[in-house]
Amino acid sequence: MNIAVLIKHVPVSNDVTVDPVTHALVRASSEGMINPADLNAIEEALVLKEKTNGHVTVFTMGPPDAEKSLRDAMAMGCDDSCLITDRCIAGGDTIATAKVLAKSIRRYGDFDLIMGGALSSDGATGQVGAMVAEYMDIPHISEIHKLDYINGKVETIKKYQGRNFTIQAELPALVTVCFGANSPRLATLRTKRAAKSKPMEIYTNAELGMPVDEIGLAGSPTAVIDSFAPESKRRAKMITGSPEEAAKEIKALIDKEEGKE
Amino acid sequence: MEKKRIGIIGGGISGTCLGYHLSLYDNAEVIVFEKDTIGGASTAKSAGTVCLFDDSLNNRYWDVRLYGFESYLKMEEEEKGSAGFDKTGTLVVATDEKVEAVIKTGIALTKAAGYTGEYITDKNRIKEILPDISTENILGAGYTQDDGYFDGTMISNTYAKKLQKNGGTLKTGVKVTDVKVENNGIKGLATSDGEEYEFDYVVDCTGPWSKFTGDLVGLEVPLWHTKAEAFFLSPPGKKLDYTFPVLKYPAFYALRAGDNIFICKSHLSMDLNNPMHAGQWDPDKLPATGGTDDYFIDFLLDQLEMRVPGIVDSGLVSSWLSYRAEPKDFLPILGETPIDGYILATGYGGNGVIEAPAASRDLAKLIMRGESTPLLEDWAFKRLLP
Repeated sequence: MNIAVLIKHVPVSNDVTVDPVTHALVRASSEGMINPADLNAIEEALVLKEKTNGHVTVFTMGPPDAEKSLRDAMAMGCDDSCLITDRCIAGGDTIATAKVLAKSIRRYGDFDLIMGGALSSDGATGQVGAMVAEYMDIPHISEIHKLDYINGKVETIKKYQGRNFTIQAELPALVTVCFGANSPRLATLRTKRAAKSKPMEIYTNAELGMPVDEIGLAGSPTAVIDSFAPESKRRAKMITGSPEEAAKEIKALIDKEEGKE
Repeated sequence: MEKKRIGIIGGGISGTCLGYHLSLYDNAEVIVFEKDTIGGASTAKSAGTVCLFDDSLNNRYWDVRLYGFESYLKMEEEEKGSAGFDKTGTLVVATDEKVEAVIKTGIALTKAAGYTGEYITDKNRIKEILPDISTENILGAGYTQDDGYFDGTMISNTYAKKLQKNGGTLKTGVKVTDVKVENNGIKGLATSDGEEYEFDYVVDCTGPWSKFTGDLVGLEVPLWHTKAEAFFLSPPGKKLDYTFPVLKYPAFYALRAGDNIFICKSHLSMDLNNPMHAGQWDPDKLPATGGTDDYFIDFLLDQLEMRVPGIVDSGLVSSWLSYRAEPKDFLPILGETPIDGYILATGYGGNGVIEAPAASRDLAKLIMRGESTPLLEDWAFKRLLP
């Protein structure tokens, strides 16, 4: 099976603020990592690769330093990668981003299955996966928890309102995987070193040839017009007393949270 | 009795340990200033190994090592967990005759102090202690069950609590913005919250920040940053089924961290002339995690394949980069400077947890009684002057 995984290079730090004028995310640290839910997508892809003797290509769209996330994905076991980077695609909304991703995937090759994380830890729209599928005119299943390959079809489990739904799709298809759906494997020193020499193609708009008014900020029909921090009713509770008393109180709070009380 | 007012800049292991030792004197008025949290910066990234014999500190200063070790054991006796002691023992591997001689001397000193220690040449016995090790191309190994590693952050916080109990003051979340000097003598300092303080002594305990702290008084502190790059590895079986001791080689060291293994390049293997190893950087720009260089992966892979092949296929859980601050001879800078009342307790490099207790004991004596000690003479600022 030929599998593509779409990942996002997101900031490591939680210290993200919103620019009051542009409403864009301002990241305090330049250090980036693979979006956590994308790690779950990679893990599902690698399991399928092992089962079908397949091949996994990982894609990301972002600044040049997003190469780090591609190398990390290849250290986990992905075979090759594609970095889509160009100033003219920066600042795009989910539609403009999905268009570029769909074009890049088509240009790269034929894939049986395209996967991605259900949500990004920074933008968290959850829209890009489904939009890529629409632009590629293939079926998609979003926010899945389990995935299998049976009789040439992909079979997934999706949880919705406390129930499990088993959903099948013909291939080619696109699925997005929920954060926590599995335990992503760890890279090792050996696979880290090997990943440095795995193939990575770089696409700019010179390769993609997309009209500049259809991509990036210029090609984005949506704009963030306001942003605000959600009001949280959760408050920290200080627990005092001896270690034994504190442990007892913490246990009671956990039980209450789990509905055991 | 005339009080001596002492301001300490930095609330890591150096500052809190010195603050505590000063607070033992009735006539000391001590304030420790920490811009963030106690023991939360480079101290928190320390492995905290205080081994009875290894090459981290020359055997000439073995009493420094012992004083540190026993200070923390006493801390643990007073309140279990207050120094974060994990008694895993230590295995120090002899890769050549020079290292072997250092280990053997260390073992003799260890035994003389009443602790256990043995030099093992039986390779089966070495593999019993650490099954994942390769015993090829080694001469033997020194082993003691009595030591292990501590938690620098826990220790700093325990010292901070003891300092407060003795009447000292902690100011956290405030940055020292100015150090007042008049007629080449210390007058006091100012902080980011707009407060001003008068002091007879100001002590720089800022470690990797000392270059910037020195700028406040126009003093060039001859420190370099060496990179402490560390990985947390998850062993192939996901769980160690034996007590992984602190493992010391000349080029790297490892210790257990829960079910993971912490592994780091040793500071004495750093080359100050290699820009990949050393430089002068801004510690405030260090990321909380990550930041390690590719060369470190290559280095570690080569070392583990050769030395500890049983863990070479461990998963990489996380990594971080820290800066050690050290002068060219890799020893700390303690004591007086050309500015009257401006004292240095910095440059511990990777050895702050080991060296801070003995250094603080002697520095407190210098500040409170004007008495120097052989250790302060050896580690004086003036040794680094041209």
